[in-house]
Amino acid sequence: MTGGSGARPKVHFEDVSKAFDQRGGTLSVLEHIELTIFEGELVCLLGPSGCGKSTLLNICGGFERPTRGRVTIDGEEVDGPSSQRVFVFQEYGIFPWASVWDNIVLGIRHLSKAEQHRIVAETIELVGLEGFEKAYPMELSGGMKQRVEVARALAVSPDVIYMDEPFGALDSLTRLSMRSELIRIWQEKQQTILFVTHDVDESIQLADRIVVLSARPGRIREVVEVGLSHPRDLGSPEYGRIKNRLYELLGVSHSV
Amino acid sequence: MGRGRYFVRSVVLPVGVTVLGLLGWHLACVVAQAEVFPDPYATWLAFGELVDSQRIWGDIIASLFRVTWGFLLAAAVGIPLGLVVGWNTLAFSALNPIIQGLRPISPIAWIPIAILWFGIGDGAGIYLIFLASFFPITVGTMAAVRNISLVHQRSAWNFDLRGLELFRWVVLPAAMPQIITSLRIALGVAWLVIVAAEMVGMDSGLGYLINDARNAGSRYDLVVATMIVIGLIGIVLDLLIRRLERFDEVKWGYVER
Repeated sequence: MTGGSGARPKVHFEDVSKAFDQRGGTLSVLEHIELTIFEGELVCLLGPSGCGKSTLLNICGGFERPTRGRVTIDGEEVDGPSSQRVFVFQEYGIFPWASVWDNIVLGIRHLSKAEQHRIVAETIELVGLEGFEKAYPMELSGGMKQRVEVARALAVSPDVIYMDEPFGALDSLTRLSMRSELIRIWQEKQQTILFVTHDVDESIQLADRIVVLSARPGRIREVVEVGLSHPRDLGSPEYGRIKNRLYELLGVSHSV
Repeated sequence: MGRGRYFVRSVVLPVGVTVLGLLGWHLACVVAQAEVFPDPYATWLAFGELVDSQRIWGDIIASLFRVTWGFLLAAAVGIPLGLVVGWNTLAFSALNPIIQGLRPISPIAWIPIAILWFGIGDGAGIYLIFLASFFPITVGTMAAVRNISLVHQRSAWNFDLRGLELFRWVVLPAAMPQIITSLRIALGVAWLVIVAAEMVGMDSGLGYLINDARNAGSRYDLVVATMIVIGLIGIVLDLLIRRLERFDEVKWGYVER
């Protein structure tokens, strides 16, 4: 199985379905999602807009309840948000009224001052924000704000990090460097990461496995293994092969 | 080049237009052969008379005293109330109809009741200013809380913020820029209302001074001079309260996001 030999199952989706009540009926968004994510794995949920991938993430984050089925983490059913499972949001979820330092301290505010200091300083160094501890988010670039957001999540050493198109609002160059930063941090911290994206390249660059969802109602079309080691050569034949496969699964032609 | 244009735009233009306005006022008085209504010079003399007689200071202090206490009381009650009513759906369902129902009633309409309860004097004035400020502050705070973005609410939820911690870390700071704006509006309204209240139901203050000047021999020069003083103090109050917008914790609320 993927996720390294002998990896422990971390997140488990048991036949998860989700439907929303709408005027004149129900709208089925997700159907029969059956999936296991292993400890330390970086898994991308890839699918077209509106396929329910963010909804799936919200369900395992505890922000929404599945209509059927359940999600367990380490065998325990998710029944609400917890600071052990932290979201990195698409729009900026960090607090604009608080300094970089105060934002990162949020999840560890109950620890002793000395502990807080140690962890925040460490995390700031890890994400490369030294010298910006006292800055406010409005003084930072988009990429740096997203670093703060990632740092805030890392500071609590969560079981799982959920990332909902975290780099979607960044320009393409920043996006690229943020991806390699994420891989560097992920390799150092060995976190389990569930990453939602609609960007085919992003998913191949980041993921151990890519879960391809169909258009609404979202079902798992296929789970594609990315057998490439980091750093990944974006020009390799294997990269191209996976890319073609993903486009095929998404039902779009690769050549324009 | 920038400096010269800046000078024209921010000094020459406003000063020029003000001088033209005063000239127009003067000419209108000459043409109409006004006897009761004062020209700019008469108003200037009246202003000097107010300052010399020392009387104006007492009235300014009386008005500011009522506005300050009424306003501070309204903020002390209105901000916490608005935070709770804005955040808690149960409190909102219970209290919003009453707040919205009382809000359109002009504070001026309360004057007879204020006098009935507090008599002529500071008590009635403070009460009226409290009413005038309370509704803008409470409703503004409620709206600010209800406007907190979903992603910040979820951040709070994700990091297990509850109760007082939730208010300290998210609800209050997120609402703060809009709360400050509502304080600004409330203080503006308070300054409008105190003059009206003092004209009807009090025996001191700038509003009373206007009425007194008219009743004591149609001294319209004193009336207009007092009006100008009221305007100037209003500007100063607004400038003072705007200083709250400069804190780092709220600046984000006043720029394009």
